[in-house]
Amino acid sequence: MLRVGIDVGGTFTDVFAADGERGTVEIRKVPTTPRAPEIAVLDAVRSLLQRNRRVVEWLGHSSTIATNALLGQQGLELPRVVLVTTRGFRDVIEIGRQNRSRIYDLFVERPRPLVAREDRLTVKERIDYAGAVVEPIDEQSLAEAVEAVRERMPCAVAVCLLNAYANGEHERRVARELRERLQLEYVVCSSAIDPEYREYERFSTAVVSAALEPLVAGYLAALADGLKENGVTAPVHVMRSDGGMSEAWIAAKTPAALIESGPASGVIAAAALARRRRIERALSFDMGGTTAKAGAILDGKPEVVTEYEAAGATHSGRAIKGSGYPVRYPFVDLSEVSAGGGTIAWIDDAKRLRVGPLSAGADPGPACYGRSDRATVTDANVVLGRLHQTHLLGGTFPIDARRARDAIAMLGVQIGLGVEQTAGGIIRLIDAQMAKALRIVTIERGLDPRDFTMIAFGGNGPLHACSLAEELGIGRVVVPLHPGLLSAQGLLVVDLSAEHAHSVLRATGDTREEEIAQIFASLESRGRELLRAQGITDGEMRVLRVLDVRYSGQSFELQIEYASSLREVEQRFHNLHRSRYGYAVEDEIVELVNARSTVVATQPHGERSDHPCHPERAHTNVRATSKDRPNETRRLWIESSFVRVPVFQRDDLLPGGEITGPAIIEEYDCTTYVAPEWRARVLDEGTLSLRR
Amino acid sequence: MIDAITLEVVKNALLYASEEMGITVRNSAYSPNIKERLDHSCALFDREGRLIAQAEHIPVHLGSLPWGLRQMLGHVRHGGGGMRPGEMWVANDPYITGTHLNDVTVMRPVFHEGDLVGFAASKAHHTDVGGAAPGSMSPDAADLFAEGLVVPPLRLVANDAPVPSAVELFCANSRTPQTRAGDLRAQIAGNYTGERRLLELYERYGTATVEEALAQASDDSELRMRAALRALGNGIFQAEDFLEGPALFQPDPVEGCASTNLLRIFVRLELRDGEAHFDYTGTCEQVSYPLNAVFGVTLSGVHYALRAVTDPTIPMNEGCFRPVHVHVPEGTLLNPHRPAPVAGGNVETSTRNAGVVLRALGQAAPGRVPAPSGGTMSNVLLGGVRLDGRAWVFYETNGCGMGARPASDGLSGIQCDMTNTMNTPIEAVEREFPLRITRYEFARGTGGQGEHRGGDGLIRAIQLLDGEAHASLLADRHRLAPPGALGGEPGACGRHTLVRDGREAPLPAKASLTLEPGDTIVVQTPGGGGYGTP
Repeated sequence: MLRVGIDVGGTFTDVFAADGERGTVEIRKVPTTPRAPEIAVLDAVRSLLQRNRRVVEWLGHSSTIATNALLGQQGLELPRVVLVTTRGFRDVIEIGRQNRSRIYDLFVERPRPLVAREDRLTVKERIDYAGAVVEPIDEQSLAEAVEAVRERMPCAVAVCLLNAYANGEHERRVARELRERLQLEYVVCSSAIDPEYREYERFSTAVVSAALEPLVAGYLAALADGLKENGVTAPVHVMRSDGGMSEAWIAAKTPAALIESGPASGVIAAAALARRRRIERALSFDMGGTTAKAGAILDGKPEVVTEYEAAGATHSGRAIKGSGYPVRYPFVDLSEVSAGGGTIAWIDDAKRLRVGPLSAGADPGPACYGRSDRATVTDANVVLGRLHQTHLLGGTFPIDARRARDAIAMLGVQIGLGVEQTAGGIIRLIDAQMAKALRIVTIERGLDPRDFTMIAFGGNGPLHACSLAEELGIGRVVVPLHPGLLSAQGLLVVDLSAEHAHSVLRATGDTREEEIAQIFASLESRGRELLRAQGITDGEMRVLRVLDVRYSGQSFELQIEYASSLREVEQRFHNLHRSRYGYAVEDEIVELVNARSTVVATQPHGERSDHPCHPERAHTNVRATSKDRPNETRRLWIESSFVRVPVFQRDDLLPGGEITGPAIIEEYDCTTYVAPEWRARVLDEGTLSLRR
Repeated sequence: MIDAITLEVVKNALLYASEEMGITVRNSAYSPNIKERLDHSCALFDREGRLIAQAEHIPVHLGSLPWGLRQMLGHVRHGGGGMRPGEMWVANDPYITGTHLNDVTVMRPVFHEGDLVGFAASKAHHTDVGGAAPGSMSPDAADLFAEGLVVPPLRLVANDAPVPSAVELFCANSRTPQTRAGDLRAQIAGNYTGERRLLELYERYGTATVEEALAQASDDSELRMRAALRALGNGIFQAEDFLEGPALFQPDPVEGCASTNLLRIFVRLELRDGEAHFDYTGTCEQVSYPLNAVFGVTLSGVHYALRAVTDPTIPMNEGCFRPVHVHVPEGTLLNPHRPAPVAGGNVETSTRNAGVVLRALGQAAPGRVPAPSGGTMSNVLLGGVRLDGRAWVFYETNGCGMGARPASDGLSGIQCDMTNTMNTPIEAVEREFPLRITRYEFARGTGGQGEHRGGDGLIRAIQLLDGEAHASLLADRHRLAPPGALGGEPGACGRHTLVRDGREAPLPAKASLTLEPGDTIVVQTPGGGGYGTP
C-alpha cells in the first residue's frame, strides 16, 4: 500500500511515496506543466506505479493552480464573473482600501479587476450592521439584475451585499433567483463564503472564489478522471492554505482556500518535525529557486492568519495592501521575500553590489545552467565551492562552474573585488534579505528570533541555514531528510479538517456563555457533517474553538482558544496582549469579533515517528551501508582563503554520527553546508541537528 | 576602512530597523486611524539629529519628521535640561514638530556605553487632541489655540517608566481619552524597538564601523540624488497653483468667486549641476484660517515630488536632503508665523504644494509627470454624543481621481500624492458610529478627457442616524478644476451637498455645521486632469 504526496511547484512537481509494508520511500522530481498541471502529476504517478505495482491508499496533493490563475498564468485564464451588489456600492470591489500600493510611483496600477465595470450590477436593498432589514429587496431591481446577468451569460456570479455578514437572507434570495431562473452553476454568496465584517475584504473573497471555482473544479475533476484511468481510486486530498486537508469535491467548492496550498504543506511538515523533536519555538525557513519563506511554529503549531493578499507584492516579507486580491480564509502565516537560488546580483549607480529582487527563475536560470551570463545566488555558491562543481540533483543535472565564475567576475571588476570576495558578498547580502523574513514573523509577535530553532528546507535552505542563523543569533538548525521535497512529505502527515467562522461582534460583558456555546455548536455541526461525508467517524474528530478578541475600539484581533468560559478568554487575552504588545488594559471592554471552529480528524499514521509508514523512519530502514568517512573533499572559500573540506553523502550517514564544520553534506535534492564552528549530529531518524 | 559588503549590510539593517518600529506601532496602536489607516511614520537619527533611515509610510511626514526632530532637539537643549538615558520626549506643537496638532511626535534619545549615539522617533496622527471641533481640524479655527491642545517638548518617559501626568495631559484634553493613552503606549513601544535594533548594531560592529556606515550611507544617497538631479539637466522652471479660501455658508457659483479668495502658491525651481533650489517667493501671505502649512510640511512636499520624479529606491536619509535647498519667505502660507492655525495646511495646502512642485519638475522631466490629480484629501470630521451619552469622533480622508499618465489613464477613487491612508470600511463605520453610509462609488465622468483620461473622483454619502453631531468638511478644488496636461481637459470639481428632509443644499468646500438625525452629507471628490489632446 502506497501513501503518495504530490506537490506541484513553479518549476518541479515533486512526488514522495511511502510504502508502509516494505518500509521504502520513493521520490520523483518531474518538470511542472503550468498550463495543465494534471499532465505532470499523472506522468509522475504513472512512472511511480510502473516500477512499483502497488495500490495507492492515500493521495495528498498541493497545487498552485489558484495562485497561478490569479497571477495571470497563460493557459489558466479566469472566466467572466458578474457581481451583484447593493445599489450605490458597485465600485467597492475596485476602490478597495483606497490606497496605492507604491507611494512614490506616479505610474502605479491597481491589480486587474476580476469583474469588469459593466459586469457590476446592483439591487436596491439594505441591511444594517445588526442584521435588521432597513430596506427590503426591491423586486423590480432584482428582476432587472437577473435579466442583466442573463444578457451577459457569465461563467460565475458573486453576490455581495452590504452587512450580509450579519444577515445573509438577501444574498440567499438573490442567489436563489439566479440559480432558478438562469440555471447558473457557480453562484457564490459573500455571507456563505466569508461571514465576517469589512465589506471590501469579504466581497473580494467572494469574487476570487467565483472566478476560481470553474477553473479549480475542472482541474480537480480532470485529475480524478486521469487517476482513475491509471487505476488509482483513492480519493484525492487537497492541502488548503491553513494546513488542513479536504477531499477534492469539497476543495473545489472553496477554491480560494487553496491559494497557498504548496507553501502550507512545507510548514506543516516542519511543524510535525518540531513536535517529534519537541522544539517549542521553531522557525521554518524554506528557500527555493525564486523566493524564501519563513513561518513561526510555536509549541508544534504553525501560526495562522485570517487574511492574505493573493497575487500581491511584498515588502520586507509582508504583503503590501492594495497590491493584490485580499482573501479571507485561514492561512499558515508565512513571510516571503524574493530570495532564492535564481536571484540576480547586480551593481547600482553608487557602484555598490546589490542582490535581487529580480530572479532568473528556472529559465534561463543561473549562469551555471549555461543559458545566461547573469550572476545569481546559485552561481555564488558554486564559486565558493559550496555546491558540486559539475552537476546537481544527484548527478542528473550538469552545470558549468566556469560560466558561474565568469559571471561573478564581471561584477567583481566593477567594484574592485576578487571573484570569491564578490561571491561571498552576494551570500551575505541575500542572507540579510532573508533575515528580514525570518525576523518579521518573530518580532510581529513580540518574540526574539534568538530563542528559536531553525528548520531549514527547500532546495536551497540548508545551504544558507548556518550563515543566516548566525546573522539572526540562532544557535540551532535542524535539517530534515529530503529537505528539497519536504512539501510533498508534508502531504502525508496532514489532518483532514473543516473550518467555519461566524461574526460575533459583542463585548464579553454583553454576551452570555450559552450564546457562545450555541454559535460554536452550530459551526461544529457543519464541520462534523463535512468530515462525516469524507468517511470520518465522530470518534476520530477533535474540535478546536477559537475566538478573535480585541479591546473595544481596536481594529485588529488576537486569537484566543475558547475552552470553558468567557472569563478565561478575557484573562488569556490580557496575557497574550501583554506578551505580544507590551501592555494590557484589564479594565477595558473586551470585544469578541469572530468565532472559529475547526473540526479535525488526525490521521492515525500521521504523528507517530515509530510507525513503519512514517517517511523518515521508513528511510532509515532502507539505508544501505554505513560509511563514517567522506567520499571526497572539495575546495571551499571560507573567510578569505580556500580550505579543503570533506564532502559527505547524506545516505551514508549513520544515526549518532557527528560532523564538524566546515563540511558539505550532499543528497539528491539538496546540499547542506555545515559552516565553521558548527557541528552536525545525525539523529536517529536521519534528521541533522546543527549546533554552534 | 570597512569593507563594502559590511557597509551594505549595516545600511540594510538600519532601514529595516525603522520599518520594524512601524510594525510595532501599528500592532500595538489603539485607534483605527493608526491601525486601519496606517497614519504614522517612524525614523532613526544620528547623534546630531541627522536622518539615518525613515520607513516609507506617509509622504507628508517625509521631510517634516527630520525637520521636526531637529527643532525638538534644539528646543530641549535650549531649555537647559538636556536629555538623560531612560527618557522619551513628546510634543505636538506644529511650529516645533512640523505638521499639525494631531501628529504627535515621540522621541527617544539612544545611549550606548553612556554616550548619546542617536534618536528613535515616531509621528502618529491622533484622532482627537481637543480644540473647538471633534477631530481637532476645525475649518473655523482662527489660531492654533482654537485647534487643540498645544504641547511643547516634555518628558513622556523618565527612568523607562511613563510619566503619568504627561499621558494624562493628552487624555484630559481629548474627546477619546482611552485611545490617546493606547496610541502613546504604541509609540513608546515603537521607539524601544528602534533603540534595540540600533544598539544591536553598535554592539555587533562597534561604534567606529557603525558611524562610518552611517556617513557612507548618507554619502551614497547624496551621490545618487545628485546623479538623478544632474540627469534632469540645468534650467529654471516656474509653476503656480491656487487653493480656495473658505467661503463659509456662502454657496456661490463659480462666476461669483472673488479672486482675492484664491491663495497662490508659486515656486521657482533652479536645477544646477546636480542641485535643486526651490524659491517660494511670490507665494501668498499667511491667512487667518487653518490653511497655513508650517515649513516642515512644505519640505515634505518638495521631497515627496523629488523622490517620485527621480528615483524612489534611493535610501531615505540626510544625504537625500543635501543637494536640495528650499527658501520660503516667513509670514507666507507655506512658512507662517506662530500662532497661525495650521490643521488644514498638513492636508490641503500640502497636497497643492506637492502638485506645484511636480509641475515644475515636469517641465524638466517631460513625460515623467502625470497630469494634476484631484488635489484634495476631502477631509470629513464628524463627532457627537450618542443617545446613551457616549462621545464619538470619526475622521477620514477620501480619495479622488488621479491625473492621467503619459501612457495610461489615471486611477479612479484613490489617495494621491501626500497621503496614502486607507478608507474605513463601511461596515466598521456603521458598527462603531451612529452613521450609515448610503453611497460609495466612483463619480463617473468626472475625470478629464484626453489622449489618456484622468481618474474619476468618488462619491461617499454619510447619514447621521441619531443624537446630534458636528461636522467639519475640509476640501478643495470645488471651484478651480484640476487642470489637464498637454491639451488634456480638466477634471470635474468636487462638491459637498447636505440632504435634509429630502431637500438638497450645496455646502462650501470648507464647512462647519451641526447635523440633525436623518441628515446626509454627500462628498463628491474631484476627478483627475486628462493627458494629451482627446
